[in-house]
Amino acid sequence: MREPSSAPPPGANPYIPVPFRVSGRRRETADTVTLRLRSPTGDSLPFKPGQFMMLYVFGVGEVPISVSGRPRRADILEHTVRAVGPVTRRLAALRRGDWVGVRGPFGQGWPLALAEGFDVLLVAGGLGLAPLRSALLQILAQRDRYRRVTVLYGARSPADLLYRLDLTRWQQRPDLELRVTVDRADERWRGQIGVVPALIAQVERQFEPTRTVALVCGPEVMMRFTVRELQKRGVPDDLIYLSLERNMKCALGLCGHCQFGPAFICKDGPVMPFSRLAPFSEIREL
Amino acid sequence: MSDHTPAEILGSHPFTADLSDEDRAQLAKLARLGVYDPDDYLLREGQPATAFYLIVEGLVSIELFIPGHGPRPLQTVEGGSAVGWSWMLAPSRWEFDARALERTTALILDGERLRDLFVEDCCLGLRIAHRLLFVVAERLKAARLQLLDLYGPPREL
Amino acid sequence: MSQLSVLDSRDLPELLVALQRYGYRVVGPTRRDGAIVYDELVSAADLPIGWTDEQEAGHYRLKRREDDAVFAYAVGPHSWKRFLHPSPLILWRARRTAVGVSIETPTEELPRLALFGVRSCDLHAIAVLDRVLRGGPFVDPYYAERRSRVFVVAINCGHFSPSTCFCVSMGTGPKATFGFDLALTEVLEPGRHAFVVEVGTEEGAEVLRQVPHRTAEPWERAAAEHVVKRTAARMGRRLETAGLKEALYANLEHPRWDDVAQRCLTCGNCTMVCPTCFCFTVEDRTDLTGTVTERVRRLDVCFTTEFTYTAGKPLRQSARSRYRQWLTHKLGSWGDQFGVSGCVGCGRCITWCPVGIDMTEEAAAIRSPSEPGERTR
Ligand SMILES: Cc1cc2nc3c(=O)[nH]c(=O)nc-3n(C[C@H](O)[C@H](O)[C@H](O)COP(=O)(O)OP(=O)(O)OC[C@H]3O[C@@H](n4cnc5c(N)ncnc54)[C@H](O)[C@@H]3O)c2cc1C
Ligand code: SF4
Ligand code: SF4
Ligand code: FES
Repeated sequence: MREPSSAPPPGANPYIPVPFRVSGRRRETADTVTLRLRSPTGDSLPFKPGQFMMLYVFGVGEVPISVSGRPRRADILEHTVRAVGPVTRRLAALRRGDWVGVRGPFGQGWPLALAEGFDVLLVAGGLGLAPLRSALLQILAQRDRYRRVTVLYGARSPADLLYRLDLTRWQQRPDLELRVTVDRADERWRGQIGVVPALIAQVERQFEPTRTVALVCGPEVMMRFTVRELQKRGVPDDLIYLSLERNMKCALGLCGHCQFGPAFICKDGPVMPFSRLAPFSEIREL
Repeated sequence: MSDHTPAEILGSHPFTADLSDEDRAQLAKLARLGVYDPDDYLLREGQPATAFYLIVEGLVSIELFIPGHGPRPLQTVEGGSAVGWSWMLAPSRWEFDARALERTTALILDGERLRDLFVEDCCLGLRIAHRLLFVVAERLKAARLQLLDLYGPPREL
Repeated sequence: MSQLSVLDSRDLPELLVALQRYGYRVVGPTRRDGAIVYDELVSAADLPIGWTDEQEAGHYRLKRREDDAVFAYAVGPHSWKRFLHPSPLILWRARRTAVGVSIETPTEELPRLALFGVRSCDLHAIAVLDRVLRGGPFVDPYYAERRSRVFVVAINCGHFSPSTCFCVSMGTGPKATFGFDLALTEVLEPGRHAFVVEVGTEEGAEVLRQVPHRTAEPWERAAAEHVVKRTAARMGRRLETAGLKEALYANLEHPRWDDVAQRCLTCGNCTMVCPTCFCFTVEDRTDLTGTVTERVRRLDVCFTTEFTYTAGKPLRQSARSRYRQWLTHKLGSWGDQFGVSGCVGCGRCITWCPVGIDMTEEAAAIRSPSEPGERTR
């Protein structure tokens, strides 16, 4: 079991959020926005890509949201939120200057140190790009530590693509292979239509299976099919990392909601190697 | 790529690369190169399905024309993959359009002569059918996953 | 063995008085609504003196005894978690202000509690909660604060419930071996009614000094020893724990899960009575003006579908998967998570299950090979 990455200072009450303010807001798609948060008192919450925060909206509730921003600026938090229910709808509707409570960071992030010297394959489906964006920004900031870097990204439609500006920039980088596909599009779309797992076949010459760390985040079905494609090509289970999603009420390993077999996804995850999930991965409704 | 011979292309295309030299030589005899500009059609719905396309380079959209809407792309096929299997089920006609989205090079194998060849050399026929089944299966799997609309709003899943 | 003392039954009320004098609010067994529950004891008269219980799977009844036994019943529907991990609990209050939001934790002074009559299984249950709620990287400050202030008077079991107790096989009873300030053994023989007292801490010794007592005679020590030995020897019900976790993990698709799911009502009674079930949920309670909100925590039940609500759907939809989660957590994954079993063998979940599901029986069935031809999923 890995060490807790964010041991609290002794005596602190881990249930109390730190006040932040919305300092910027960018609409990504019809239902998704990226919020930039800053602490009015200059507090910083140093985080690692793949970790998440509990974001609290006054009087409404608190939900886990991944960090999607650049880890080097711990005083600025970026979160990409999709409005799906009461709390996320309110988060997505926040304006500059609005108050938001933050607890975190929590959980195990992406194994970026382990990936040094390896080919890195980032596979994102839908909103799964949010936590992977943070990882990619970190990787690109220290590009020489990694071998070939490939990003595969699948979205519902061209209108659902996140981080367009980033995508354009990444597309232009010679040291990064980016492939984007969508499930559906009209004739104006000049890119790929298909599913992310199928992109792996297209880039199989860009990674050496046993020297590749794969970072995967997306809906469970998409991850399942992605894992199979990676396994078929010989990427070992302990080098395939997935970020999992479970109901979370505390993020502290105390409320019991996020259990998956013996793991608490809030502290043993959300990022876990497939080798640890494999014994339970075929069990439905675990 | 367009300056390579069909035999050379067959030697490096993932669909045929691991066939024997002999098999590839047989196939090369039935092959010619096609080059398409963006928006050129490789094949069109309703026309006789007479050829098999190995996409060498580029991007091809498999689509359906919907009256009042125009072409509706369904899946795309990249260099390294294959387009069209109706030729194997002859006599038949194409059921979808295939349109180049980028400048695309394809190796076009004559369907009728392929079928004749498979009658003579059943083993080669089986090897090709097996590869084709793989392509069909991958495409069907992708279509099923697309159908799930995995990234749609949670409640509709 | 440490120094043992004897407290005459007439002097038991003095012990409560002494605890109260030390500033403790004494909570312990008392009779209410046909059950023995845990609540405040104003005096020894609140104890269920002369009562016993009759428990079976899905059945509980109080009965009058011929004598004045004080602890002649097994555990009831309550457990000590209602004091240590109370529900509902206000975690904090937040108020909108001109400059933002101010957050405060409740400031009410907590009473110091003396837990009176804690059985060995429940001492183990408290030790389990200690691991869960204050043994990990994040300490629950609400639990830790309450826990650090308690005084524990344990009672060694002379009475137990033959159809539901299985502490012996769990290694959690019937004798209290740790975690108490004072431990009592009730010795009730014709013409004699006394408590043999073992001192566990210096604070326990201090309290005992305020109460009339004397040093135990060798035969009294032997009598106390005999009480727990007799209980241990008679306890027939057992749960085979060797290799249990592995067996559960290996049988997550066992047909028995379907079988138990047919019977289970997913009412969650078992989790509510269980002394170690700790899961909770949190919600906001906002006043009408919307300027003040309270973050409230409530114990939650893994048998509800809401418990796993994720991305628009509950992940554990079938009753089968929810019962399986409960049992494999209690008896299996808890060990991986916290290094102990999540079950201490108190039997409450068996008694209070409305349809009499017996988890020891389910565990035994799941570890037995499924019949060939039986349906698996
Ligand atoms: C580790 C982690 C990282 C996440 N990162 C992001 C992110 O970067 N961006 C983003 O938009 N969303 C993210 N989510 C999902 C997000 O937490 C849910 O969309 C959110 O909890 C829904 O709450 P709601 O009140 O708006 O909607 P409802 O659907 O009404 O939710 C009701 C309750 O169910 C639970 N719940 C519902 N959906 C989820 C879910 N998918 N995951 C966990 N709990 C859920 C929550 O407890 C929530 O309070 C993440 C989830 C996890 C576990
Ligand atoms: S699972 Fe049942 S027997 Fe075990 S501690 Fe909980 S209530 Fe008692
Ligand atoms: S096992 Fe019994 S007590 Fe527990 S949820 Fe099922 S019916 Fe209720
Ligand atoms: S979210 Fe509460 S235990 Fe993981």
